Amino acid sequence: MIPLTDQSLRNLSQRILVTLLPEFSSEYAMSDAASLALLMNAIADELAEGIQRRLEDIVEMQTILSGCVTTGVERDIVERTLESYTLKAVNERHDELTKLLVIWHEKSESDDALAALAADIWHYLRHHANRHAITAIP
Amino acid sequence: MVSLDQVTASTETFLSEKWGTPVTVTEIKKIFGGASRETYRMQLDVDGESRGIILRRDPPSSLIDTERELEFGAYARIFPTDIPVPETLFLENDKKYLEQPFSIMSAIDDCQTDVNPLSDEQKTKLGHEKYTILGRLAAKDPLLLGFDELLSVPDVDQCALEQLAYWQGVIEDDEIHPQPIAKAAIRWLWKNPPPPAQKVSIVHGDYRTGNFLFDKNAQITGILDWEMCHLGDPLEDLAWSMDPLWTMAAPELAGLLIPQDEAVSIWERESGLSCDPEAFRWWRIFVSVKAVAIWISSSEDFEKGQSKDSILAIAGWVMTDRQNRILLDYLAPDTSEQGRAA
Repeated sequence: MIPLTDQSLRNLSQRILVTLLPEFSSEYAMSDAASLALLMNAIADELAEGIQRRLEDIVEMQTILSGCVTTGVERDIVERTLESYTLKAVNERHDELTKLLVIWHEKSESDDALAALAADIWHYLRHHANRHAITAIP
Repeated sequence: MVSLDQVTASTETFLSEKWGTPVTVTEIKKIFGGASRETYRMQLDVDGESRGIILRRDPPSSLIDTERELEFGAYARIFPTDIPVPETLFLENDKKYLEQPFSIMSAIDDCQTDVNPLSDEQKTKLGHEKYTILGRLAAKDPLLLGFDELLSVPDVDQCALEQLAYWQGVIEDDEIHPQPIAKAAIRWLWKNPPPPAQKVSIVHGDYRTGNFLFDKNAQITGILDWEMCHLGDPLEDLAWSMDPLWTMAAPELAGLLIPQDEAVSIWERESGLSCDPEAFRWWRIFVSVKAVAIWISSSEDFEKGQSKDSILAIAGWVMTDRQNRILLDYLAPDTSEQGRAA
């Protein structure tokens, strides 16, 4: 396995920024290389924390949705367990719960009895946005 | 991807044919960050005289799916007015020269786009000019300038909702992951439509600091990037110019230049229009949704398109993240200072 994978990616990014970039003769190549290095740092952060952040989203969405879903199909979606922790599987699980959250968010906006649900969803969306904030690129 | 040598040789061939005299490219530079077109700045020798041009070449994919004819046509129609833009020279759709269509404009010399090194006094001057020009653009009659030959003319009561429907469609077509924040914002916009536009104006579509050139006297010499130009409610440009995404370093300043209320006053004076706070709130939220659409569209281009330009990834990842947080500030019940100010 690749040791310290995220740090390795940051090291490669550093190599581009510090060693290669000054060697480029065109401004275009320098700007592009600098952007690539910053993007690599953002990917390194995602590599280190991305699965965990998605899992926290998933748990929070499950908690919100388990209190409101009504049909068996929806309950299956909420209660389903992850088949693996690959990024693809976690993304798919995250997406299916997010789609259900969007449906219930819309319902909550037109029913005063669901005001608390609407508030919970807004809080989740803020937690989600803060959790996934990209800080590696200024 | 074409090399600088190919661009040089093809430009020399093309312009020599067009002008009927030998043309030599003496200097060429590719400009980084052209979101929708590859952009090259060239210095030419034509009959012993030096002149600069800008060549914009269609890439395999771009941030904004736009028609080159629209952008070129907008520049050509604005050029004779008091809105400063570069002069258009040629629009070439034949792919035999550069494998993709391209356009050529005269370069505006000795100018820059970065306002950060400017003094406060220069920023103030530039800000006044920026919003004076935007007000003048809003005041113009698009039909007198022939914009109806290029663009459809919306009814005043449809300007907002036509734009909303368009950008909602872009999000639905291009989202890689579901977009719960943008979807909530779109629902809010449909439920709270603004009043009809005071008039149908030429909307630049991307009027922000960074999209105009200015000289050493802080005088604006060219408004650039008209590829999202359309006819609609002029409040859209005013709102876009003040989106918090462009002003994170100084949120109280419109486009990092002058206080927001000052910018609005200048715009109102020059346009002869008013900036109704409720209508303006709608447009501020709308422009953030439009921006999310552009950013996720660039993500989609980066993942699925032919171009792997780093600018697409930066826009798609970083801008989507920041724009979603701006929308939360506008719409979440625990709205922050930013949201209350909108």
